[in-house]
Amino acid sequence: MRIRTRIKPLQGVAVFLITAWLFCLPFVSTTTELRQHTQVIITVLAVLGVNIATGYGGMISLGHGVFVGVGAFATGYFVDGMSFPWLLAIAMGIVTASVAGALVGIPALRIKGIHLALVTLCMAIVFQPLSKRFPAFTGGVSGKAIEARFEAPLWLGDSRMASAVYRYVFCILVVLVALGLTWNLVNSRAGRAMRALRDNDTAAAIYGINLVRTRVITFAISAGLAGLAGALQVVLVPYVSQDNYTVQESLVIYATAVIGGLGSIWGSVLGVIARTGFGALGERLSGMEGFGFVSEFFELLDEQAFVFGVGLIALTFVFPRGLAGIRRKNK
Amino acid sequence: MDYVLLLQRIFDALFNSAIYSSLALALVIIFRATGLLNFAQGEMATFSGYIAFVFLVGPQPRLKGGGLAGLIPGVPLSVPLAVVGAVLAGMAVGAATERVLIRPLRNAPELSLVNVSIGLLLVINSLMAQWWGTGPRVFPALFPAGAGQNFNIFGARLRYSTIGVWALLFVVLVCLIFLLKRTRIGLAFRAVSINQTNSELVGIPVGRVLMYGWALAAGFGALAACISANSVLLEPNMMLRVLVYAFAAATLGGLDSPKGALVGGVIVGLSQTLIPAYVPFIGFELSVLPVLIAMTAVLLVRPAGLYGTKRVERV
Repeated sequence: MRIRTRIKPLQGVAVFLITAWLFCLPFVSTTTELRQHTQVIITVLAVLGVNIATGYGGMISLGHGVFVGVGAFATGYFVDGMSFPWLLAIAMGIVTASVAGALVGIPALRIKGIHLALVTLCMAIVFQPLSKRFPAFTGGVSGKAIEARFEAPLWLGDSRMASAVYRYVFCILVVLVALGLTWNLVNSRAGRAMRALRDNDTAAAIYGINLVRTRVITFAISAGLAGLAGALQVVLVPYVSQDNYTVQESLVIYATAVIGGLGSIWGSVLGVIARTGFGALGERLSGMEGFGFVSEFFELLDEQAFVFGVGLIALTFVFPRGLAGIRRKNK
Repeated sequence: MDYVLLLQRIFDALFNSAIYSSLALALVIIFRATGLLNFAQGEMATFSGYIAFVFLVGPQPRLKGGGLAGLIPGVPLSVPLAVVGAVLAGMAVGAATERVLIRPLRNAPELSLVNVSIGLLLVINSLMAQWWGTGPRVFPALFPAGAGQNFNIFGARLRYSTIGVWALLFVVLVCLIFLLKRTRIGLAFRAVSINQTNSELVGIPVGRVLMYGWALAAGFGALAACISANSVLLEPNMMLRVLVYAFAAATLGGLDSPKGALVGGVIVGLSQTLIPAYVPFIGFELSVLPVLIAMTAVLLVRPAGLYGTKRVERV
């Protein structure tokens, strides 16, 4: 079955604006700002991972920060400890995260709905203390600097800006490829199997869908995407630390996916854009003082966890299908 | 094998068991009535812990914290009064949560409830960090827990605080059983837990009864926070790890069985202390791992746990 891709006018405008913004960014930012923007852009991958598991696979995952962490630690280990070239190390990061995801996918065969949410949440809570226990990979409590650098090739010059732009372009390309592949996946036979499973697993099994294989693969792919986000984090900042993989981080990734809209690839991008927008707004407002209670509220707006907690609750009531589903009717 | 040491470890574990049991009880009360696992239960409990803290420090603005905490009257209370105040305040927060956030979603899919409780977790957690800072606060012990304040049983020390905590839990449980079995509202709550539609048909105000249930659960959570705030220090993430243990306890005992929550709490508390002590590889940091694995295994093999109701699914 061929899926015709129609781009609606609104989406066209949005795509144009995003492209223009991405194109202009390197010209107007410093290396630090550019790195920060790139870090935001790669979170699309982690959010997409949650979207695949929860939105398309119907398996609630509150612990995707864990897979981001596994991807980052593995990439760091392979590029430094084993001196692999970067691309191979990134690939190994994805593979390691996928294997971890498949391991979680196996219990997910029987544990469903809210109970799976429970298991993955507990996993996210436990990940930090656990990773302190294996300092060879994670650098223990204080983290570990990675010696290798992802530098621009010589013909681009060896300035810091050249490297920053090179990493920026590399990350954007990876994100675009991942988005494209995911788009194809969810509209392919495998993607339809996933969605059939989400809506009614008994009926799906009767139609000959292999439940075990589909569930495990879905979880592995979704974890692999999160792992890729982790690997790119190491590309951008050659430093890994368990400090970055708190429960709150996992939950904010989940919240971004839900706010953007589950079951829509466009939604994952929208979620991250919303996250960026609110982040910039909070940063502006938090500096303002002298409004008494109001300025204290502004301080809170700078707190991602707060904004996304409120957003998650509000959207559940107003737009259960997330930002991507605003125009569609509920149900 | 050193039996005195074993006995000592069991005595030490029993203190944590009380914390896990009461938080697990909170989770079970809500799950029984609404089928929702309240992921924000730990944060709601920590919040009550902070309220107790504010009651205790009274008018010292530097310790008291910002935001709405500034509105709490600034008279320092004694420890028991502060705990009672915190439990009552926690119950009010629980009831308000049910009324405002949960009741409108009665017919919503499971995912919406998960989202709301996760949202609550994030909001309460960041509110606490904003108002009181992330640094740990010293919280007084509810019962004498100093050196030498213990019974000596076969050479092992059983601290007064462990006995005190269990005595407190016991008293609260007796009250709970009285409430559930001997009062009208308890009867209504049991009816609602069994079947909401039928309860509505016989004229029980289901929404209000559920609100009381949430208040009750939040009360148990507040109690758990006040017990644990002395030993683990009061900070915004205090109950996150405790929540894992409490969930494991509730799962082990059966998610809809209060008796199971108690037994599960004791089992989890014991295994958290005993397994790292006798399996060197696991050590203190990984002590949560066997508990997590046990929880997953129970969900996989026997979702009803020890005492829970077996769920029959209609295809």
